[in-house]
Amino acid sequence: MINRRNFLVKSASALAITFVVPSLLSGKAHAKKPLAQKVTDKQSWGIHVDAGKCVEGCTACVDACNEENGLTGFGRPETDSQWIRKVTVKNKTTDKITTMPMMCQHCENPPCCDVCPTGASFKRVDGIVMVNQHTCIGCRYCMMACPFKARSFVHETLTQQNTNAPRGKGCVESCNLCVNRIDHGSETTACEDACNKAGHSAITFGDLKNPSSKVRLAIDSNSPRRLRNDLNLQQKVFYSNI
Amino acid sequence: MSEYTLQKLKTCRYAYWGIFLFLGFLILLGIASSAYMEHEGHYVTGMNNQIVWGLPHIFAVTLIVIASGVLNIASMSSAFNKKLYKPLAPLSALFAIAFLIAGLIILVLDLGRPDRLIVAMTTYNFKSIFAWNIFLYSGFFVILSIYIWTMLDFNVSKYSSYVGKLAFGWRIILTTGTGSIFGFLVAREAYSTAVLAPLFIVMSLLYGTAVFYLLLRIISKLQNINIPDEIVTNIRRLMIIFLLANIYFLILYHITNLYISKQVAVTTFILLEGGNYTTMFWLGQVGVGLLIPLLFELTNKENRNFPLTLTSIMTLIGGFFAVAVIIIGGQAFPLNIFPDHTIISSSFFDNQIHSYSPSIFEFGLGIGGTSLALIIILVLITNLKFIPTKK
Amino acid sequence: MKHLKISFLIFILSVGIQNVSSHDGSPHVTTGKSKADSQEACVEPTELMRKEHYMFLLHQRDETVIDGVRTKKHSFANCIDCHVSYDEQGKAIPINAEGQFCQECHVKTATNITCFSCHAAEPRFPQHSGMTSKMNSNDINELVKHINNDK
Repeated sequence: MINRRNFLVKSASALAITFVVPSLLSGKAHAKKPLAQKVTDKQSWGIHVDAGKCVEGCTACVDACNEENGLTGFGRPETDSQWIRKVTVKNKTTDKITTMPMMCQHCENPPCCDVCPTGASFKRVDGIVMVNQHTCIGCRYCMMACPFKARSFVHETLTQQNTNAPRGKGCVESCNLCVNRIDHGSETTACEDACNKAGHSAITFGDLKNPSSKVRLAIDSNSPRRLRNDLNLQQKVFYSNI
Repeated sequence: MSEYTLQKLKTCRYAYWGIFLFLGFLILLGIASSAYMEHEGHYVTGMNNQIVWGLPHIFAVTLIVIASGVLNIASMSSAFNKKLYKPLAPLSALFAIAFLIAGLIILVLDLGRPDRLIVAMTTYNFKSIFAWNIFLYSGFFVILSIYIWTMLDFNVSKYSSYVGKLAFGWRIILTTGTGSIFGFLVAREAYSTAVLAPLFIVMSLLYGTAVFYLLLRIISKLQNINIPDEIVTNIRRLMIIFLLANIYFLILYHITNLYISKQVAVTTFILLEGGNYTTMFWLGQVGVGLLIPLLFELTNKENRNFPLTLTSIMTLIGGFFAVAVIIIGGQAFPLNIFPDHTIISSSFFDNQIHSYSPSIFEFGLGIGGTSLALIIILVLITNLKFIPTKK
Repeated sequence: MKHLKISFLIFILSVGIQNVSSHDGSPHVTTGKSKADSQEACVEPTELMRKEHYMFLLHQRDETVIDGVRTKKHSFANCIDCHVSYDEQGKAIPINAEGQFCQECHVKTATNITCFSCHAAEPRFPQHSGMTSKMNSNDINELVKHINNDK
C-alpha cells in the first residue's frame, strides 16, 4: 500500500529519476519491457469505465482514438470505422440514464478469435484482442460473432495512415488498447488521456494483474460488472455505475 | 430404365452456343462486379458495419446448400441402393460439384482480401467452423470427383457404391457445417441454436431435389428424351416429405426461440414486427416456398410434370428468401449488448433495426456465380457422357 | 471435344488477357534526398538486404504483431524513416510513389508491394528518428505513478 509519506518520498525520487534517466535510456522509452522482449502473460491489460463520471455529449475519448489511429471517416457513418463509440442507455426497471464509451471488450474467451478461419483475430498473451491484418482475409465472420459490435470493416481505400496504426481496405479492425503505445512503454491509452484531460477521469487503463495499478484500484473500489456476463466471455473492460 | 447407356448432350449447335454465350455474359458481369467491389471497397455494396454479410452470402449459402442437396439422387442409388436412380447418379454428382464451386467462388470473391486466398488455404485456426468448412468443401470436391470417376469408368465401377456412401456421409457433415456457421454464433439471438444444422440439412434436401428436377427437365427437353414416370412419381413423393420436414424444423426453430425468453424479441421481430423481413418470411419463405408447393404437390395426384416444375421453382424462390431471412434478418436485429437497458442513443446504430439495400454489384456477383455452376454443367454434359438414354 | 476446346479458348481469351507492361529500361533516378543516401550501409549488408529484405520484414512483422517486439533494426517504420526521400521543400515523398525507393525496384522486378495498402508510405514525424508514440507531460506523471507502483 502507498501511504502519504511513502508516496511523497517516492515521487521525489521518481521526479529525480525522470530528469536523469531519459539521458541514459535510448529515446523516451521508459518501458518495463525492453523493446526486444516478447510480451508475457505477467501482465493483463484492461480498462475500467466509471459510467457515473462519463458525461453525455462528451466525445473526447472518441476523438482521441480517431486521432491516435488515424480513423478519418468518409462521411458515410454506416461504413466508416468506429473503434470506440458513445452509447447512452436507460435502465428498464429504474429508468436511470447513463452514458459510456463502448469499445472492444478484450474478452478472455473471445468469440471473434474462435471463429476466425485464419487465426488473424487473436489474443495476445497480455490479453489484448486484436486483428493481425497481415493474415486477415476480410471474411467478416468475427463481426458476426462479436456480441458487442466492436469491430469495423474497412470499406474503402485508405491513404495517409498513421505510422503507428497501419490499417487498410478489406481488413477488419478494432480497438487494440493502443498496443503500439503500450509496447513503447506508455501506461495510458489515447482515450484515457483524453478523458483525464477533459476532466472526467471516467476511463482507467492498466495492468489487471498488478494489485496496485490504477485500474485495479478503480476496480477494487467500485465493484464493477462486465457487459453480457451471461456469455461468460471474461472481458477485460469493466463498467461501474451503469 | 433397366437398359440404358450414358450419352453426351446432343442438342443443336445454336442452342448450345446461345446458352453458353448467355451464361458467359452473366459470368463476365459477375467478374466485373466483383472487380469493381474489390477495387472500390465494399462501401459500394449495400453491406456495411451493421449488415456485414449480404446478398453474396445469400447466393453462396443457397448454392452450397443446393450442392449438397442435389447429391441426393446419387445417394439414393449408392447409399440406399435404389436401382431406379442409378442412371441419374453421375449427373447428380456433377451438379453437386458445379454448385459447390459456384458457391465457393462467390464467397471468395466477396472477401475483403480475395488476393489472400492462399492465406486462407494455408493458415488455419482449427477452432473456427469456417476453417472446418474449408476442409469439408475441398474434401467434398475430391470425393465427388472420385465418385464421378468410379461411375463413369467401368474398370473402377466396383468401388462406386463405397465412394457413394462416403459422399453421402460427407454431405450430411458438410451441411451440418454450413448450418453451424450460424448455429454457433452465441452473439446473435437469431442464430445461437443447434437446430440450424438439421434445418439446413432438410433445406438442402428440398432445394437440391428441386434443382435436380428442374435441370433434368431442361436437359430432357434439349435431348428430346422423356423423364420416366417412375422418377417423376418418386421426386414428387420426396418433395412432399422434404417440404413437411422443412415445415417441422422451421416450427421447431421458432418455437425454441419463443420459449427462451432472451430470444423472444428477435423471434417476434422476424415473425411479426420486422417489416420487410416479416414479409419475406411469411410470403417468401413460408408461402411461396413451403405451403403453396405443398398444396400443389398434394393435389398433384397424377404426378404430372407441370405442377412439379412449378413447385420446384417456387420452392427455390422460397429457399432464397429462407436463407435471406436467416442471414439478413438475423443481422438486422440489433445486438442485445445491454439486456437490462434500452439503448437511447449511439453513434454506431446500436439502437435501431438495420436496413439493407443490396447494390447491383452484389447481385451481379451472385448471378455470375450461379451462371458459373450452369456453364460448368453445360460444358461437361456436352462433352462427356452423363445423360442416361434408353437402349 | 471440339465444343470443349472452343469453350476453353473463349474462356482463356476473355479472362486471360491482361494488361502487360514492361519496365521501359531507362535508368532509375530517385528524386529527392533520403537519410539512407548518406549512410554507409543498411541494417544488414547491402547485398543481403537487396535479396532478402522481405524475409527480415516478414519475420519482424509476426514478432511485432503477435509478440509485441518493437525493436528498431528490422522495423518497417524504421525502413520508411530512413529511406524516404524529401523534396527540395523538405517534404517527404511517399516511398511507393513512382521512381521512389520501394517502387522503382518493385516495378523492375514486377513484384507487387501490398505493404502500403495499410502502412504509411511516409514518416509521420519527418524528423523523428524512430519512436512513433507521442509523449507529453502526462507521461512524466505516469512515470511517477509507474515507479510508485513498482513495489
